[in-house]
Amino acid sequence: MTPPIDLRPYLDELERFADGQMSESEQAAFELRMEQDEQLSAAYEAYERFTADLRWVAGHETLRHRLKGLDKRLDQRQDALARIQRRRRRTQIRWGVASGVLLVLAGLALWLWLRPHTLSPDEAWARYYSPDPGLSETTTQRTGNLLLTEAMRQYHNGQYPEALQSMRRISEASLSPDSLYYYMGVVLLRQDDATAARTYLLRASRQPGSALAGKALYHLGMAQWRTGLLPQAKATLQTVADDAQNPYQAEARKVLQDKAVFPRD
Amino acid sequence: MTQPLAETLTHLRVGNQTFLIKFYQENRDLFARWARRQHQLQPAVAHELLRTVLVEFYDQVADGRLTKLPPDLRAHVYGMAAQNLQTTTDESDVLPAAESGRRRRLLGLFTQLTADCQQVLMFFYFRGYNFEKVAGKMGFANATVARLQKSGCLRRLYDLHLRAQLAADPASGDA
Repeated sequence: MTPPIDLRPYLDELERFADGQMSESEQAAFELRMEQDEQLSAAYEAYERFTADLRWVAGHETLRHRLKGLDKRLDQRQDALARIQRRRRRTQIRWGVASGVLLVLAGLALWLWLRPHTLSPDEAWARYYSPDPGLSETTTQRTGNLLLTEAMRQYHNGQYPEALQSMRRISEASLSPDSLYYYMGVVLLRQDDATAARTYLLRASRQPGSALAGKALYHLGMAQWRTGLLPQAKATLQTVADDAQNPYQAEARKVLQDKAVFPRD
Repeated sequence: MTQPLAETLTHLRVGNQTFLIKFYQENRDLFARWARRQHQLQPAVAHELLRTVLVEFYDQVADGRLTKLPPDLRAHVYGMAAQNLQTTTDESDVLPAAESGRRRRLLGLFTQLTADCQQVLMFFYFRGYNFEKVAGKMGFANATVARLQKSGCLRRLYDLHLRAQLAADPASGDA
């Protein structure tokens, strides 16, 4: 086995020759020397073998580095994609929760709005009772009954006790009984004394041939309802509702339709 | 993968590694799943195994040990990986022992150089960059600096090579 050659004394020249760094004349001279100098020729062969091995090593290492670099980039891309997916999922969950909460709130609001609402007796009364407008001043003046004029004025002004007092002072001779009973009942009902009103309105409704009988029946029905006499109230108001001539027919139907006020049998 | 097989092999032989880079990019995750199922390997270990196998495959092509590209490259690579896990590959049974040993030794010495030196030598001896391009890539002032750097790195590698030779065979130093 031939001992390995130490390239160091030749390395500068060999490298310049191999790398194409020599001028043309230098190269020709070097090639001539190689033909004549066995040692130099052997050194050149050893150098070529060394650099061929180095090329193999460089190729091996280049691929290794490139694959490692690519691996790192792919890892980074996967991490970034995973981060984006996580963020998107978090956002979706957040929106889902927000939508859920909104839906629940909307449902709650809708339920509150649409749920069967039981009116208090006062609310129901305020909603359904349609008070008599009373007689106008012109009408009362035409009757020439000053006390009636005074009572109606007080009624219009909401002075119900005073109106009652005035009404009580009216003599039975100066006003027909149906009008007296009717307006007494109406004023008492406005004063929220339904029990007392019932008596007057019952009488007014039973006056034969009275034009006020129909209206009195409505107010009587309402007074019965107000005092808790529901079956009687229902029957009375049903009569009003069935009477096409009664000016309170619509009001009577309206109150009868409310199942909370008059539950169906 | 649409490239004709013979052409691929020629490209690899002349140092065009794009084919293997693309193969790694397209098959890394698939390979990792296979390695986890078959050999219970973690993804990072599987990725390293695939890189090792691809470099080995490239070495075989570059050495001339592989003269025909397998028709099913993926199956071939997976087979190499399975073999790699079972035994320590020894290429000396295919490549002449002297050449194989010499190159493996030089590879060991090469990794002892600085990262910059390795890069300069890879650019010059594998990529075939001229000194001007090496200077540009490495951020050197000019081509002369690149030439001097490359020369210095080559000397350092040769010194390591000589020292390793002397350590292996002290008698050769007397010659």
